[in-house]
Amino acid sequence: MNNWTRFKNSYFLYSFKREPVAYISFALFIIFVLVALLAPVLSPYDPYDAMMIDIMDSEIPPSWMDEGEERFFMGTDVQGRDLVSAMLYGLRTSVIIGLGAVIFQAVLGITVGLISGYLGGKLDSFLMRVADIQFAIPYLIVAIIASAIFQLAFGVDRFQQLAVPLLIFIIGISNWPMYARTVRASVLGEKSKEYVEAARVIGLNRRIIMFRHILPNTLTPVLVLSTIQVAQAIMSEAALSFLGLGMPISQPSLGSLIKAGFEYVFSGSWWITLFPSILLIVFTLVIILFGDWLRDTLNPKLYKG
Amino acid sequence: MFAFIIRRAIQAIMVMIIISLIGFLVQQSLGDPIRDMVGISVSLEERDILRTKMGLNDPQLVQFFRFIKNAAQGDLGISYFHNKPALDVIFKKAPATIELVFITLVLILLITFPIGIHTAIYPDTKFAKYVLGFSTIGVAIPVFLTAIALIYVFSVELQWLPSYGRGKTVNLWGWETGLLTWDGLKHLVLPSISLTSLFLPLYIRLIRSEMMEVLETEYIKFAWAKGLKKHRVWLIHALKNTLLPIITVFGVEFGMLFAFTILTEKVFQWQGMGFMFLEAVERADTALLVAYLVVVGMMFVVINTIVDITYGVINPTVRIAGTK
Amino acid sequence: MKKLFVLGTALLLILSLGLIASAKTLKLGLDADPKSIDIHEQLSGGTLQFSHWVFDPLVRYAQDMSFEPRLAKRWERIDKNTMRFHLVKGVKFHSGNDFTAEDVQFTLNRLKTSVDFKGLFELFSEPVIVDKYTVDIVTTKPYGLVLNMMTYIFPLDKKFYTGTDDKGTPKDAVVKVGHSFAKTAFPSGTGAFKLTHRDHGVKLVLERNENYWDIRSPGNVDKVIFTPIAEAATRVAALLSGDVDFISPVPPQDFKRIQKDSKVDLVTFSGGRIITVQLNQKKNPALANVKVRQAIAYAVNNVGIAKKIMKGTATPAGGTSPHGYSGFSPDLKPRYNLEKAKQLMKEAGYANGFTASMMAPNNRYVNDAKIAETFTQMVAKIGIKVNLKTMPKAQYWDRFDERAADILMIGWHSDTEDSGNFYEFLAMCPDTKTGYGQYNSGNYCNKEVDKLTIAAQTETNFGKRTAMLKRAEKLIYDEAAYITFHWQNHSYGVKNGVNALPIVNAQNFPYLGDLVIK
Repeated sequence: MNNWTRFKNSYFLYSFKREPVAYISFALFIIFVLVALLAPVLSPYDPYDAMMIDIMDSEIPPSWMDEGEERFFMGTDVQGRDLVSAMLYGLRTSVIIGLGAVIFQAVLGITVGLISGYLGGKLDSFLMRVADIQFAIPYLIVAIIASAIFQLAFGVDRFQQLAVPLLIFIIGISNWPMYARTVRASVLGEKSKEYVEAARVIGLNRRIIMFRHILPNTLTPVLVLSTIQVAQAIMSEAALSFLGLGMPISQPSLGSLIKAGFEYVFSGSWWITLFPSILLIVFTLVIILFGDWLRDTLNPKLYKG
Repeated sequence: MFAFIIRRAIQAIMVMIIISLIGFLVQQSLGDPIRDMVGISVSLEERDILRTKMGLNDPQLVQFFRFIKNAAQGDLGISYFHNKPALDVIFKKAPATIELVFITLVLILLITFPIGIHTAIYPDTKFAKYVLGFSTIGVAIPVFLTAIALIYVFSVELQWLPSYGRGKTVNLWGWETGLLTWDGLKHLVLPSISLTSLFLPLYIRLIRSEMMEVLETEYIKFAWAKGLKKHRVWLIHALKNTLLPIITVFGVEFGMLFAFTILTEKVFQWQGMGFMFLEAVERADTALLVAYLVVVGMMFVVINTIVDITYGVINPTVRIAGTK
Repeated sequence: MKKLFVLGTALLLILSLGLIASAKTLKLGLDADPKSIDIHEQLSGGTLQFSHWVFDPLVRYAQDMSFEPRLAKRWERIDKNTMRFHLVKGVKFHSGNDFTAEDVQFTLNRLKTSVDFKGLFELFSEPVIVDKYTVDIVTTKPYGLVLNMMTYIFPLDKKFYTGTDDKGTPKDAVVKVGHSFAKTAFPSGTGAFKLTHRDHGVKLVLERNENYWDIRSPGNVDKVIFTPIAEAATRVAALLSGDVDFISPVPPQDFKRIQKDSKVDLVTFSGGRIITVQLNQKKNPALANVKVRQAIAYAVNNVGIAKKIMKGTATPAGGTSPHGYSGFSPDLKPRYNLEKAKQLMKEAGYANGFTASMMAPNNRYVNDAKIAETFTQMVAKIGIKVNLKTMPKAQYWDRFDERAADILMIGWHSDTEDSGNFYEFLAMCPDTKTGYGQYNSGNYCNKEVDKLTIAAQTETNFGKRTAMLKRAEKLIYDEAAYITFHWQNHSYGVKNGVNALPIVNAQNFPYLGDLVIK
């Protein structure tokens, strides 16, 4: 039986198809990601192209309102950027940072977890001690302090240039212990099983055993964890940007759009804040709903607290 | 237990050393705090004289040793902006944050327990379903949006509640408290509600699921069999057994609560430690930043040690994390 | 029941009496509080505002920029270098000490020891005391701006600030870092208010000086509670929700909202701060070409910026000096003309444009980052691709000193309320020895501008002086030394009944002592 048919007959797929929350949220998630990645094609204007922006178009309300214009469906922001385009590009930045940060922390955390769990000994206790210490401090504090330090150390100008990779790094580094502990726990569970013993007996080297044999068996908790972490990473980015420690407004992300709009909340230009906020909430909600379902269905042992 | 505390103390010292190293490096690569201290038309030479006076022109190594030496004596430098020892500034701001966290904790307890217990006892009611639905959505709403929305509705439109700051405070043995004046309490309402809203979903779900689990146990079934009154079974027998895991999560999540005060304080211009930190970043007030790092690092090491010890005390079957 | 009724009426009566008798309190929400309560420690708008509340100057500016006598009731010129000031008699400091000519002498001497202020008083020598209430202000050279400088002299209580304090430091020391008496002790001034509480960055409380000398002042504010609110949106929310009675600055985007609201009023007053960007000719060769600079000047729609970003509360600028200054001339108009700009780029040999870097602060001037952002959009239309970075002022000024980008933003308010100050700092050839051109990051250099500016310093003939400054102004405009956007207006949001209009001015020093609340 090949993998595909096995998948097709699995309980996993069965419950996926039966559960509207699951397939709707999954479909929405895919749509959001596609829209985000295709932002340059889909959006009517390019918010990075200074040629297309005119200050005279600033703060135009959404097109269905009295002073709205056909050209800008959801209105424009303070710079005169089309809000739909800015949001699409903003979503793209948020998605890139969210996925990037999760990939980064997963790679880091899984590697540490595998090594730690499989090799044990001094290295294990050292790595876990480091993880413990960092785990003692909430990830958001770590992220806020890290980005403040980076911003000051690099200077705001260079920070802005490198904002996306730096934020991926910062959010990633603030959350890796979660993965390390989860993976280590399942490695410890797997290690004593017979198939690992067998692999060792036939003389496979450690790296092959670790990555080929043990790793695949720890992926379920990693998958569940990752969906939660994507939502968390996107919200972290928004929080950092809102505090002025994340993306600059010239490179919109959902967080920096909301921050820019915050100044206009009381002035009547509510759309600059409201639409990106709704987008952010819906997007994270979709991920959380899917993550909840995934956790309930797969029911892995997650390392908490 | 003793060995455990010693180990934790060593850990704490390691953390402090790493933090001060980071702090020092930041201080070095950072710009010139002099700029913020003088008027714009002061000449370059004048500024250089000031810099020398403050020891900023000394070799790096000299500065580092001076920093470590002073830090060991509890002197974390002078905040450029406040013109006071950085630790004094932090301790002055701490009550605002602590009071906000305290009120939020009280609100969380007052709201989540009744709702959590109710939805556990009657899991199939419409109310329970709405609560669960809302709490899922609640998880997805960032705290700063809640805060902005609250200000918009209750301060700007309805004008019922103040929109920023702590209001009138009273000095009680050196502790500036806002809890004793009507004005101070009014100022606490919106910030604490926004913070609370963030944690409601988590705790309602937690209390609900723990309670439901306990209600299934033999112990409770036995209590029913004994013919005890409904409320007695629910509130005494069942609740007692859900408390331990809930307290544990509280301990862990307390740190998160503290983290989110930074966002809340920013929106409400709440004069606490988080707001002070953000201002220090903006003003490049390095001494204050480094002191903040050290204090926060220390705080979390202490909190975690306490949580671990309490956990070990309440539940002796669990080994203290980190001991072998 | 009857008893209850009586009790209720009595209570109501007491409450309403309390209301009538209650002191008029002004809850003030400005963006920042003064750095120090030693008014000679830092030269900044915040310090000067505070000085006007707790102290009184010898003279001050009226709304029409004329000089209004304060502690000096009249003055006359004795000779080329001397001006005699007659002081008001019977004025007492908050400490109870009498105000005399000695205090004026003490204050000027102390100003000359302050790092921040000494530059302004370079030409002044020791004042001569004629009698108890008469003092001669002497300059080393003829100086046309003596009266302007007298607005900076807020007499300090000599007796109060003389001697040594309990830490053994002299009480008159001006200290930037570390302890000093003047920045820890609540000041003793002559002003309408006494400082009674201060928590830096959090709260400052002023209470009426019941022995205030100026009995003609209509002011009826008994207490000022000043809480700094840095976030613009929060400041507006605080006004709208009734938490404060007086805010400034009001972010332009909220003007409409405040005007619409029947419970609050908006008051604006045109100010003298010019917002510019400088084009570094040494760093970017294209910017050394006068045609390119002119092209940029023609590409910038600063009327549009004033209208859209500043919501009409800035005056679009052609030249540098605002209306009312000697150098101002109405012919130097904003010159937005995209076709002409493109034409000039072609003539300069940059038809295909070029690339330049730019930096601007994001929390220094009203909507600074947005103006910078818009500037990049506007010059993009003539092919200049600008990489903009914005940052908080704490980091920006280091970058500015490094000349870290080709295009740098700077706003300038003339400390002397005179055109010469603009040119000395922004347009004269940079010279580290003399300090001229300290903020001329563009390295614009025209010997004639230098000559005119320096000559104007010692010219006391008003007509001749004006002609010189006008000439310098025109040269700077014609050669597009830098790009001017607008003069920022000052804006205040006040609760109904707070009569702010009579007490505001071009300097942005609201004279709260004269404020009337209905």
